[in-house]
Amino acid sequence: MEASAGAISENTLMIYGIVVALVGTYLTYLNVVTGIAVFSFFGGIGAIAAIWWGSDTIKHLCSYGLGTGVPSAGMVAFGAGAIAMIAGTKFGIASPIVTLILAAIIGAVIGYIANNVINMNIPVMIFSLMKLSMVGALTMLGFAAMCTGTFMFNGLVIGGMTLSMEPAAQAAAGGAQTFMVTIIPEFAGSLIGGSALAVIFFIGAIALQHPFNACLGPNESQDRTLMLAIEVGFLSMFVVAVMSFAFLDMVSAAVGLLIALLGWFFSYRKYIAYSKRDAYAWLDAKPIVEVGGDQ
Amino acid sequence: MSALGGKAAGGEGMNPTGTVVGIVILLVSIAATYALGFSIVPLIGIIIGGALIGFGVHFVPVGGAPAAMGQAPGIATGVAMLAAGAGLAGLFGGAWAYEATGDFAVAVAGGAVGGGLMMAITCLMVNVTYVYAMGNPAASGKIAKDPITGDTFPEYKSQGTEGHGLPFISFFGGVVGGFIAGLGGTLIYIELLDVYHAGLPAIMQADAATIEPLAVSLAGIFAIGFFLVNAVLAAYNITGTIEGPHDPKFKRVPRAIIGCAVASAFCGLVSMLIILNTGM
Repeated sequence: MEASAGAISENTLMIYGIVVALVGTYLTYLNVVTGIAVFSFFGGIGAIAAIWWGSDTIKHLCSYGLGTGVPSAGMVAFGAGAIAMIAGTKFGIASPIVTLILAAIIGAVIGYIANNVINMNIPVMIFSLMKLSMVGALTMLGFAAMCTGTFMFNGLVIGGMTLSMEPAAQAAAGGAQTFMVTIIPEFAGSLIGGSALAVIFFIGAIALQHPFNACLGPNESQDRTLMLAIEVGFLSMFVVAVMSFAFLDMVSAAVGLLIALLGWFFSYRKYIAYSKRDAYAWLDAKPIVEVGGDQ
Repeated sequence: MSALGGKAAGGEGMNPTGTVVGIVILLVSIAATYALGFSIVPLIGIIIGGALIGFGVHFVPVGGAPAAMGQAPGIATGVAMLAAGAGLAGLFGGAWAYEATGDFAVAVAGGAVGGGLMMAITCLMVNVTYVYAMGNPAASGKIAKDPITGDTFPEYKSQGTEGHGLPFISFFGGVVGGFIAGLGGTLIYIELLDVYHAGLPAIMQADAATIEPLAVSLAGIFAIGFFLVNAVLAAYNITGTIEGPHDPKFKRVPRAIIGCAVASAFCGLVSMLIILNTGM
């Protein structure tokens, strides 16, 4: 059984995936420029573009007979991508690009190990694992940007500030008591500090490996697999939107939630339409009616 | 079980060039860590932890989808998920033990026992399902006699299958695998936690007590990432299913240990970049 070739080529998907993911993540910087957090949802759109691209990469990798199942490809993408993403966010405005490059390097090393040390000898292994790591890193960065409104390390780890006030030793002129106020960042309420990033990790990993895992088989068609990828992407975006209520204000989080719901509804309808098109027969299953007694 | 029915194309034996390049990458990672001013002891710990995960995963009896149908022995899921369960459960146990006692040996032992316990419970319930729900006796397809209990298998193996259920050697392998993988995962977590405890207060300009939740979360998510990368590399080595330590595929272990060690070394270097002062 060969995986279907598909109408859109691998390279086209890669270019679109990288461009939309990077642009989406950078558009969340408008939050900083304008001072309102409404533009966070662009990060989710970028993450969905990465998942869309990644599900096709998994298809090409798994058609070589890895011997192991499809979910492991999603897991390795996010394992490597998480390491790249957190390390990459320390570079200020250049973070998305540094994350991409770092993910590509980590993916290349892991791909080299898989091909030459583990001796798998699959022609596309190194390049596929590079692409998968980039997908994982971009998805995590996009969803993290959607959840908190920023893609930089300080924004992801600082959940709030507390004031600590201590009475100062000397009184001010006129006998008033003076206080020394220190602003202490607190880390427990943030995306990384509160471990909410682990949720993004796993919903991303599941979303990445599900489309091909569900659609694989003799009649696999690329547009149906990609539409399923977009649909699960919007589902994951919905979860991240719910999470963002803890980090953003109500309006911005609600905007993300609404866009995720609308996107899910339309992509799911399209997916069902494609499934009906590709199916040999479509049974609208009704509950089995018990006639009564033994049959 | 391959995803699309394509034949697994892996070669047998070790690839000398690849292995040498891999070891070079490992040594370069250690040198780079030293050059950046970090102590190399945590990185050595991470490398050993990664190698242990790769080693331990080979003991676990993985059956894949055929096992769910009673066509092959082992636990009816894939390597990555089983390794995640066994090792991550051990990791959480060890993390809690480290926070509760602060003692390295106790925490690592706690992680190992956690992983082993999780695998023991899994193997037990899986066997109960196979024997009482599916009606399969446990029989291995690769050997005629169990090395530990002496039970014979050919008369119990159904025709047309590779075996079914979890014979004692597979069960034993599962527990040992969980023990070793949990130990490796906890080792990685503790080393990363120590690195972040030392490095983060300086970078974030906060004191050690405030930085604690951040250090724990960062170490945790990196440990999960390391874990999954190592487990998938081991899965690629096993090519999907393995019955346990008695399986001939077990002889492939050396290249998995080297591969996981190299991957952990490189990813360990990247994870230490977090506390590098880039001035941002």
